[in-house]
Amino acid sequence: MRYVWRRLGHALLVLFGVSFLTFVLAAAAPGRFGDELRLDPRISPETVEAMRVRYGVNDAVPAQYLRWLQSIARGEFGFSIAYNGPVGPLLWPRVRNTLLLTVPATLLSWLIALPLGTWSAARRGAWLDRLSAGATTTLLGIPELLLGLGLLLFAVRTGYFPTGGMTSLDFDELGRWQKVRDVLVHLVLPVTALTLAGLPILVRHVRASVGEVVRARFIQAARASGVPEPRLLVRHALRTAANPLISLFGLSVAGLLSASLVIETIMSWPGLGPLLLDAVAARDLHVVVAAVSCSTVLLVAGNLLADGLLYLADPRVRPERA
Amino acid sequence: MTRRLAALTLALSVVFAAGTDVASQQAAATEWLVSRADVGRPGGQLVVIERAEPRTLNPVVAVDAPSKEILARTTADLIHVDRETQQPQPALARSWTVSPDGRRFTLSLRHGVRFSDGQPFDADDVVFSFTVYLDEKVGSPQRDLLIVGDKPITVRKIDQYTVQVDLAEPYAIGERLFDSVAMLPRHLLETPYTEGRLARMWAVGTAADAFAGLGPFRLREYVPGQRLTLERNPFYWKTDRAGTHLPYLDRLVFVFVPSEDAQALRFQAGDADVTTRLSAANFEVLMRDRGRRNYDLLDAGPGLDYTFLFFNQNTVASNDAPQVARRRGWFRQLAFRQAVSLAIDRDAIVRLVYRGRATPLWGHVPPGNKLWVNRSLPRPSRSPDRARERLRSAGFSWNAAGALVDKDGQVVDFTIVTNTGNTERIQIATIVQDDLKQVGIRVGVVTLELRTLLQRLLTTHDYDACVLALGASDGDPSTEMNVWLSSGGTHLWNPEQASPATPWEAEIDTLMRRQLTERDVQARKRLYDRVQELVAENLPVISLVSPSVLAGTTKGLGNLRPTIFDHHALWNVDELFWRGRPAGGTR
Amino acid sequence: MTSRPQPAGRNYQVALVALGVVYLAAIFAGFLAPYDPSTQSRDLAFVPPTGLHWVDMSGTIHLRPFVYEDGRSYPLRFFVRGAPYRVGRFFQSDRHLFGVDEPAMLLLLGSDGFGRDQLSRLLYGALISLFAGPLGAALSVALGLVLGGLAGFFGGWVDTVVMRAAELFLAVPWFYLLFAVRMALPLRIEPQEAFLMILTIVAVVGWARPARLIRGMVLSGRTRDYVVAARALGASDLHVLRRHVLPQASGIALTQAALLAPQYILAEATLSFFGLGVGEPVPSWGNMLAVLQRYDVLSSYWWMFLPGGALLAVFLLYYLLADALHERVAALPG
Repeated sequence: MRYVWRRLGHALLVLFGVSFLTFVLAAAAPGRFGDELRLDPRISPETVEAMRVRYGVNDAVPAQYLRWLQSIARGEFGFSIAYNGPVGPLLWPRVRNTLLLTVPATLLSWLIALPLGTWSAARRGAWLDRLSAGATTTLLGIPELLLGLGLLLFAVRTGYFPTGGMTSLDFDELGRWQKVRDVLVHLVLPVTALTLAGLPILVRHVRASVGEVVRARFIQAARASGVPEPRLLVRHALRTAANPLISLFGLSVAGLLSASLVIETIMSWPGLGPLLLDAVAARDLHVVVAAVSCSTVLLVAGNLLADGLLYLADPRVRPERA
Repeated sequence: MTRRLAALTLALSVVFAAGTDVASQQAAATEWLVSRADVGRPGGQLVVIERAEPRTLNPVVAVDAPSKEILARTTADLIHVDRETQQPQPALARSWTVSPDGRRFTLSLRHGVRFSDGQPFDADDVVFSFTVYLDEKVGSPQRDLLIVGDKPITVRKIDQYTVQVDLAEPYAIGERLFDSVAMLPRHLLETPYTEGRLARMWAVGTAADAFAGLGPFRLREYVPGQRLTLERNPFYWKTDRAGTHLPYLDRLVFVFVPSEDAQALRFQAGDADVTTRLSAANFEVLMRDRGRRNYDLLDAGPGLDYTFLFFNQNTVASNDAPQVARRRGWFRQLAFRQAVSLAIDRDAIVRLVYRGRATPLWGHVPPGNKLWVNRSLPRPSRSPDRARERLRSAGFSWNAAGALVDKDGQVVDFTIVTNTGNTERIQIATIVQDDLKQVGIRVGVVTLELRTLLQRLLTTHDYDACVLALGASDGDPSTEMNVWLSSGGTHLWNPEQASPATPWEAEIDTLMRRQLTERDVQARKRLYDRVQELVAENLPVISLVSPSVLAGTTKGLGNLRPTIFDHHALWNVDELFWRGRPAGGTR
Repeated sequence: MTSRPQPAGRNYQVALVALGVVYLAAIFAGFLAPYDPSTQSRDLAFVPPTGLHWVDMSGTIHLRPFVYEDGRSYPLRFFVRGAPYRVGRFFQSDRHLFGVDEPAMLLLLGSDGFGRDQLSRLLYGALISLFAGPLGAALSVALGLVLGGLAGFFGGWVDTVVMRAAELFLAVPWFYLLFAVRMALPLRIEPQEAFLMILTIVAVVGWARPARLIRGMVLSGRTRDYVVAARALGASDLHVLRRHVLPQASGIALTQAALLAPQYILAEATLSFFGLGVGEPVPSWGNMLAVLQRYDVLSSYWWMFLPGGALLAVFLLYYLLADALHERVAALPG
């Protein structure tokens, strides 16, 4: 239990470190808020500069960081210069929307990867293994943006699925179950894209680690003594192979807010991705830091979860020196 | 008897008159503006694709294009420039007079106009609006547009429906000053203003009933990240010729689609009725499918944007490296720039990058700007031979490997920077790179993220050449002062000069200042023609191409009159209606 | 104990040889490619692959294939003279393996938006991509092995420090740093150099994922048993790391490498969105694939997908090689 408290303390440290480092990096990066206004001949440079001074864009990093911390204390989570308002109300709906997308996609990826990878490992060289190798390689070779665009093209040509967005125009007038159905229909393509994008990594890792174990001596011994194949795989192989997979799962959780950036943008899904990209482009610092901080929370939580599961799966694992 | 009757009548009429007077002050009969467009039928919704979310719904602080586009539908101005005829028309001001010296405008406001929440509009709102815009502490970008002769305009209330505007000196654009300056509701915003929190008002996500505007639509709903819905403003002050209240449309929905390709896709799929700012490549894809899908594609012809190549002509600082000084020396030679201009294949740019939907340019004012373009500028066709001749005359020669060398024997090479996020500009830079290879100049193309690019251009001045585009919003030269004045911030090749670096820049300064106060249209045109001549002769920017304005709409939209001016399809959204369809919307 | 058969041995050799051929082709791209990759033929923008014919219009069969241009036939010639090129720093030539006489053009994979030969671009672009991908993967995985291995092996505060650092590296948005680096780099360096520098940074910063996976593996009990035993026999830490820990972690390391190399090759497509990729007119597999991410190209010009085939083939070879290596390492005693 003390271990958990200590980890939470570390987590807070990491959070501070990440947010401060983000501030520093953003300050080091070229460009400041309002740069693109310089290209508008109707706005004078003095006005742009006055805007920057008003928002404290020119202040030193520690001062800006302090202001951000104060804003957190007030519950606003920062002030967005671009939107001229607190970051919090901007952020939470997007976080929810992104999770709505990534959680099903991650679950689906794992649900497909585990059996597929395991069977591939058990039957190395068989047609399923070759097929899966070909499929994962192909998916690895398709950039996410291309995948998303391809699915959209499919949607346009066939008309079976909406071409973007999360809800239809008449969403408000729908009944409760119709609303659920509407969102589900809009979820299909983005979730498909995300699942396909994440599949190669999972399948290959499952195959590699299960494969390693399957070939190990004790499995062969068990097989020789007549333990049936499926039981062998599930009870022995998977548990031992679980180690890297648990770490991978922790990383999956960690990526719940950051993995869908590209897909969200191309499919107009109202998640954290487009907000973050826009904020980076506009140098809207507090939005970026807030979004990154949310991601960090999930990252730390994911790793903590993974470490916990590692301990459960294999009690000999000791993160502390014996 | 008659005398008593007369007295009674007199008394009654006085009472009656007083009564009517009071009534008129409370609710004057609205003086409608009658539209001269075709008469249509009310009903239906229009779905428009918007490339990004609005950052704010506050007209005082809005700077980004999506915010301004949406605000233009919910707010109204005093005098509005008709986007089709380019002439100022009465809007909230039903008429106005100008003093003979051009420094005083007296505007007579339309009576009986109400905000979208039912509150009346009068001169107090006008004075309040201008106070806010001109207040330096508020820092509205609108302020820059309301400064004439280095002094802000002053606005005074004469009576409930009359205001007087004074300028420090005569202003060439005159009443166009008032176009797009949205009138604000004093009853909602005065308190926040006095409390110093006006800038934070009306952020996106504010409840719809907290807004009030004078435009054809008012806010109905905002779904973050997805769409913004406007509904008809029942108090809008325009009608059609048959007396029906405008706008015809019940609802106007803006759908946010951040990716340009996704915009084309969603329009094609029927998710939206209007999409503007299509790229030429996507336009072609949509052309192939239009039979099946019931939409029209419109090519409104060359627009107001102009893409150009310019060289770094900043004065060399003492601590700059010698190579920098050498390169700057090449760029400052007119013959060098002329040679580059002669070597560039503008037709290839039009053909390959814009699929023919653009116009080559030799001057900075594109032909789409019909009122101001100087048609008598020379248009030398592409000629690598003439380019070489120009280079020779400037002391350049070619070494054994065919590379261009300057008079000291140094190989001529430089880099062109342009910004990511705009595939057309990168393609243009690639074409220019290849063209210059034909005359022996080695050119590198570096794409930088926009703000990194601007940092190099405007702050550190650390670049060689750049391909960029500027877009005039309404074509009037007064909007480009900052570009052509040598002290201007957008004078890209050598910004914010303390005093003009060259004689022709000094001449342009004089001409631009004169045209700003010249009220005779012909004289103004001659002044600006001369500016265009000087730019085309001295090539601070090498104008390349002006893309056409491309849009798509669902078939059956009545009164649709696309123009090259913003907003290409929605500038008359209050007059748009659906022909022969039930109140529906998308296909 | 019967020694297990090594079916993977064949795979290993095949993959190695095939990759060797690919890399050789990349080095000799100048010779194999019929044209210079930046030569624009502006009248031939976005044309589909040139057809090779063996039978002419009068029905005669020719042994040597030819292309049609304006009604005339131009036979395929070998060892033709064409655009000059150099291999490495020293070898220069203008002989190409095959080509056709002007004005015909042999566009076996079609042309891009500027009329540049896609096959030539594919061959020339191979070198930078095939170099950058494995380089990035090697960097990330090597760092991950070292740091993750140490964290898992020593545990305790070493583990804490390294894992928290990993979280930091995973969370921080590094594109800011990349922008700053690009800004600091002079504009005039070779586009490939700038790109490689950026990629190196991305790869170095990317040590955290492999490290996390490897650390978990090293922490596991099996290693511990060996470690305890070996220590009891007086083995040094280094020895134990090398003989027991490393092979344990190698499986993950190889899997990660085979996944990262393709990702780094494709990363160039994303990096160029931010202005951090290889600049025009230099081709790379990343930016050739990036062109497909435009709707008009995706829906109109099918031949632009063809370079993807080469990409997939190489990725498959990386995978087979990694898999075969894994087999060999797993078959080692211990």
